[in-house]
Amino acid sequence: MNISKKLKTNVEYLKKKLRSDDVEFLDITVKDVPVTLIFLKDVADKEALGELVLKPLSNMTAAPEKNSLENLFLSPEKTVVKNMEELVSQIVLGDTAFLCEGLDFSYTFGLKKFEKRPISEPPTSAVIKGPREGFVESLPVNISLMRRRIKSPDLIFENLTVGRYSKTPVSLCYIDGIAKKSLVNSLKKKLQSISIDAVLDSSYVEKFLGEHKTSIFKQVGNTEKPDILSAKILEGRVAIFVDGSPIVLTVPYLLMEDFQSPSDYYNSSYSATIARVLRLLSVSISLLLPSLFVAAELFHLQLIPLSFLLTIVNSIKGIPLSPSYEMFFTLLIFEILNEASVRMPKYVGMVVSIVGGLVLGETAVNAGIISAPTLMIVAFSGICLFTVPELEQILSLIRLVLLIIGGSFGGYGIIMAICFIAIYLVSFENYKTPLMAPFSPLVTPDLKDGIYKGFLIEQRKRPLSLKNANVRRMGQNGKRS
Amino acid sequence: MQFQLKTRQVCLFFIAFLPIIKLFSLPSVIADVAREDMWISTLINVLLDLFTLIVLIFTCKKCKTDFYGLLELNFGKVGSKIILGIYFITFMVKGFIPVMEQKSFIELALYETLPNFFNFMPFFVVCFYLCLKKLRVLGRIADVFFVCTALGLILLFALSLPNCDFTAILPVGARGSVNHLKGSYYSFNWFGDAMYLMFFIGQFEYKKKDGLKIVLSFVIPSLAVILFMIMFYGIFTSIAYRQFFALTEISKYTVIINNIGRFDYFAILFLLASNCFALSLPLYFATTILNKICAFNKRWISALIVTLTYVAVLLIFEQFSATITSTISYYFNTLFFITANVFPVCTALLNKGVKNENLAV
Repeated sequence: MNISKKLKTNVEYLKKKLRSDDVEFLDITVKDVPVTLIFLKDVADKEALGELVLKPLSNMTAAPEKNSLENLFLSPEKTVVKNMEELVSQIVLGDTAFLCEGLDFSYTFGLKKFEKRPISEPPTSAVIKGPREGFVESLPVNISLMRRRIKSPDLIFENLTVGRYSKTPVSLCYIDGIAKKSLVNSLKKKLQSISIDAVLDSSYVEKFLGEHKTSIFKQVGNTEKPDILSAKILEGRVAIFVDGSPIVLTVPYLLMEDFQSPSDYYNSSYSATIARVLRLLSVSISLLLPSLFVAAELFHLQLIPLSFLLTIVNSIKGIPLSPSYEMFFTLLIFEILNEASVRMPKYVGMVVSIVGGLVLGETAVNAGIISAPTLMIVAFSGICLFTVPELEQILSLIRLVLLIIGGSFGGYGIIMAICFIAIYLVSFENYKTPLMAPFSPLVTPDLKDGIYKGFLIEQRKRPLSLKNANVRRMGQNGKRS
Repeated sequence: MQFQLKTRQVCLFFIAFLPIIKLFSLPSVIADVAREDMWISTLINVLLDLFTLIVLIFTCKKCKTDFYGLLELNFGKVGSKIILGIYFITFMVKGFIPVMEQKSFIELALYETLPNFFNFMPFFVVCFYLCLKKLRVLGRIADVFFVCTALGLILLFALSLPNCDFTAILPVGARGSVNHLKGSYYSFNWFGDAMYLMFFIGQFEYKKKDGLKIVLSFVIPSLAVILFMIMFYGIFTSIAYRQFFALTEISKYTVIINNIGRFDYFAILFLLASNCFALSLPLYFATTILNKICAFNKRWISALIVTLTYVAVLLIFEQFSATITSTISYYFNTLFFITANVFPVCTALLNKGVKNENLAV
């Protein structure tokens, strides 16, 4: 419906559409011409509204009409709206609408002021060395953080709105000339096709971006740090900002990303490589140790050195549960403790950890319900899992499955399960990017930022696995040619 | 034109999957006939395969279509289906002995207590899953699992080397050429890997010097197999033929194992992981061929038929495995020789098609 020249008709329509009590209809008269300002009273920046809209109106010497209003308002964000539906959506987004008798259009001013959290270090990716800024819930603040880092006209933000009721602003961010246009278009299409009541966090969008709906593996990367996001989009990825979420999504995603910590890029290549090897080793231990231990106890005793075997035999003497049940229940308890400590307030969580980890574990061993090696293996496996926190949930699920397989089929079953997962992972592609790249398919130049972290000067090319539009990122030896 | 594989993946395919299945019961089978000259019998098969491989490389270089297109071009639809049918039988039979010996290996060597038949079932789940995938996935698996094969072999060689007496294979050629050829004939089932290159025709972009890379990637693991044979005989000498599972026996007497337990099992576990794919190869290609012959819309149908046939045969004829094995060795080795060596060599004589021929992808 188009905006009518009759103010009364327009206001009546808007009052019908905007029934909420927090919508303010401010009726004023300027030189005998009735004017109405419509805004959300808890969202609008009233100070700016008075200074940039009302003050110029009160200073008018002639009756308001199209030409006189054109350059009157001082608001930097001013849009002309001719459609009623569009006007309603602008108002609910927090803009202030200006309607005037005799005008068949409306001005909207982006004068909104939301309360926001100050920029702080994200708890999910704390670093010892390197920038400590993290994204916040406000989209404009997050965009400004990116603009501060990449001062290039090629840094593009494309705004969209997702969510039938929430009308959440979502912004696609990429570097024109590096990110592949086809990827940007396909993401835009996907975002536009989302039909959902509300997008309350970026994880809502994440579910729609994955090409494999039932996969347990991650298909979209994420970060809370602007420095990491800058590096990612400079490699040819596309970022998706969602208003209200400090977690920014990145596409395409490689599994290796989660083994790369922000600090790897601020420390020496040697220590970064060692750290990555440790993470990989920890994940392998965490996944395989419980299941291999159970399989060895049940099926392959020859795998265990004799002295260690005697220790195990002594410790499991009198334990009522079979090795696989024992390990399964201990893992279950560990998962419950983990869940409880995450959900509870910080100070209570600490108590839960102490009571659960030390008291419960010690007592269970003393009471002869579980054996000391089992407890030690579960604890060690649990600690190892947290070296790659982004994959913690997926890996703990796989660990449980491997444990069941190990307990039922033994070591061969575990090997077969690994082979199965390997086939699944190597055949997994999202946005035409293989999840396991640069290892499978092998992309040799990208191995410089794989497990081995090469020197910065060696990484002259952007990751080829991402198939970006512009490959070269550095001059010869990092110098201007 | 979309290629499923890269030349690198073809090379790694041979490195990752070629040597492993030859390390289980094959050494004892050859040792039974050729004794200290078992490596010569192995060498004969390797040279035969190498010749086939070189001819196939030339075919790859000239061919403008894939293997299935090549058959259709030269033999027509019906003729190509008959040839594919023969290959289907070849793959179905060829895979049986290695799968059977793997099952026995799992049951006898890996498990302390005698496991249930179903302990081997996860292999068929993996195999079925692999059979569903495109050739591209096989290439990617080779990208990853060649590391397992290489690590496993290096560890196994390092553990076995101190106990090996290389003079045991002397005098060279003492067993006579008849025994060498016999040893080589009885082991046809385990060789004939060059044939796989025939199925890769038109699936990778052949560039200059790719032939050399492929030959090298074939020769290196083959040399590893020959070295394994020599070491196996060097360790067990005259009782080598009684060591049914060479893989677990060869490194058993290392000092390190006495101190810290069966350390060599790590090498074996690495090799078993790669072997899972090596064993699945005949089933994989049987699935592809069955799909081509029957033109099923869904690949899972042919994958299921192939896998279930194997499960059924293993389950029903479990007690007659020795009879089946000897029957295959007695009657099918000639077929293996023809399909793995003679026919691939003949592809050099076939019409290779014209440029821009439609490629099956």
